Amino acid sequence: MQNIIRNLIAAAALALMAGCASTGDTTGEEQTADQQDATAEQGITAQPGQDAYSYPYGQAPSQYDTFDTTGGATASGGQAVQAVASSGGAVSADRIIYFGFDSSEIPSESQAVISANARALTGNARIVTQLEGHTDERGSREYNIALGERRANAVRQAMIATGVSPQQIRIVSYGEERPAAAGQSEQSYALNRRVEIVY
Amino acid sequence: MRPVIKLFGLMALLLVGRFALAQPLTIDITKGIEGSGIPITIASFGGGAPEDIAGIVAADLQRTGKIAPQPAGSQADYSVTGQAQPGGSRGYLVRFQLAGAQGAPLLNLSFDVPPNQLRPVAHRISDLIYEKLTGEKGLAGTRIAYIASGGGSWYLVVADADGQNPRVILRSSQPIMSPAWSPDGGKLAYVSFEGRRPQIIVQDVYSGARRVVSAAPGINGAPSWAPNGQRLAFTLSKDGNPEIYALDLATQSPIRLTNGSAIDTEPVWLPDGSIVFTSDRGGSPQLYRIGPGGGAAQRLTFEGDYNARPTVSPDGRHIAMVHRRGGRFYIAVLDLQTRQFRVLTSGGLDESPSFAPNGKMIIYSNGQRLTAVSLDGRVKQDFALRGNGRDPVWAPYGR
Repeated sequence: MQNIIRNLIAAAALALMAGCASTGDTTGEEQTADQQDATAEQGITAQPGQDAYSYPYGQAPSQYDTFDTTGGATASGGQAVQAVASSGGAVSADRIIYFGFDSSEIPSESQAVISANARALTGNARIVTQLEGHTDERGSREYNIALGERRANAVRQAMIATGVSPQQIRIVSYGEERPAAAGQSEQSYALNRRVEIVY
Repeated sequence: MRPVIKLFGLMALLLVGRFALAQPLTIDITKGIEGSGIPITIASFGGGAPEDIAGIVAADLQRTGKIAPQPAGSQADYSVTGQAQPGGSRGYLVRFQLAGAQGAPLLNLSFDVPPNQLRPVAHRISDLIYEKLTGEKGLAGTRIAYIASGGGSWYLVVADADGQNPRVILRSSQPIMSPAWSPDGGKLAYVSFEGRRPQIIVQDVYSGARRVVSAAPGINGAPSWAPNGQRLAFTLSKDGNPEIYALDLATQSPIRLTNGSAIDTEPVWLPDGSIVFTSDRGGSPQLYRIGPGGGAAQRLTFEGDYNARPTVSPDGRHIAMVHRRGGRFYIAVLDLQTRQFRVLTSGGLDESPSFAPNGKMIIYSNGQRLTAVSLDGRVKQDFALRGNGRDPVWAPYGR
């Protein structure tokens, strides 16, 4: 619990810093807008509330936050599973399907989660869900993106089988890039092999 | 001091098509040589420059594993002396001499530099000494790029090859992955999840300008530059499952190179224009090769049940990859000429290998930090980064 609170404080502090930075820190942004070559598109760097800022190498900051999300705390503190501060916010358990190692097969105990969410979708055709596929950290990162998509597709197929319109389902795979639990224990890995149903 | 070599035995293989020619040998090199190398003494540079040039040179040479700087006062075959003092037309005058056994001069050079170029000059001196003593091109003056994250942010960082001088050229509140240097070292392609969906972006390192190269529905992943820098290969799943595409950057029209129900991803180019990639079409992920225009795929790897994330040496002879056996992940290398398959690391969570531009070292992530191993497995090298680092890519020698 302490860890979670600490993470939340860290995330809040960083959000504040980012907020301050984005007003005074538009150097990179404006530079990129001004100096684009003829083929560059402007869309991405010019969005309000954008997620990403680029900097010319010569003016790029040398400081970055190194709050360790790769399990350093677990290595020294035993097998404790540590929640990772996720910018996406916590998804409740009735919207998560967990998977076995190297598997995209939906476990029977997760059928209820799929049925409940499928009912919500068939009940209101205007709702769109995003199925976010995830893997544990082992193995190649890009191959894990493909495995995460395979898991999300398995949930998608199961939902369509119960009558959900394909138009109501979007898919994205984050592979191992957004773990739900830090640390290199089997317990963490099991929590990270998942599909989150996001509305 | 010889490396421990374990022969895992000859394995006769049932091969397909025209690859039925090899009996690969698996050699595990699990221990490097420590403390060996050409002895050299490096005297402190006088003159009061704000950088410890002798210290930087000693660290650079130590890191190569082939040259061994000795403590002050000891005897060695080679010696370096130098000065760095205010003067010259730009701020500092840096001189250095490399001498051989009987004091015979081997190198004697001077540099006229501004204060902010003292570190680069130290790396240049390291490379000159390394090249003189080994006949190989040095790496001290090169750079790496990697991804760091923490506190809900992701960073694309470019740093010197010793891990110093980090520059955050991209900061995002969403994941960034799979950076890839253009052959001239001027651009990085990468995958960004900004807007909560994956896109392939090419960023000019020096101007910071960015261009979206692909934002198709589904996966946009694993960008890789063609040797001529004019095409990108990458993975899209817009047609239902991950397939390899090649895009001409001038015409912007992607061509699909694979077609099947399996996962095809992680394409990399060989110098001849053919493409090596990861596919699980045989039931487990293995490496395959297709021609520049696609066509029938030839399977390249047969060791173990997991070979993925290929990366090609600059001369096109070796392919390094992530290799799994017994539940652990290693960096392994396949020699395309001899078909010899070697495991280079002691294993664990090793991933994301990338060749140095001289083809002698491979940088990778061991799941906690960045580290490097030589192509022969003898030299290990750690990178002194602040915090975590992953997805490392060694920059080419460049322009």
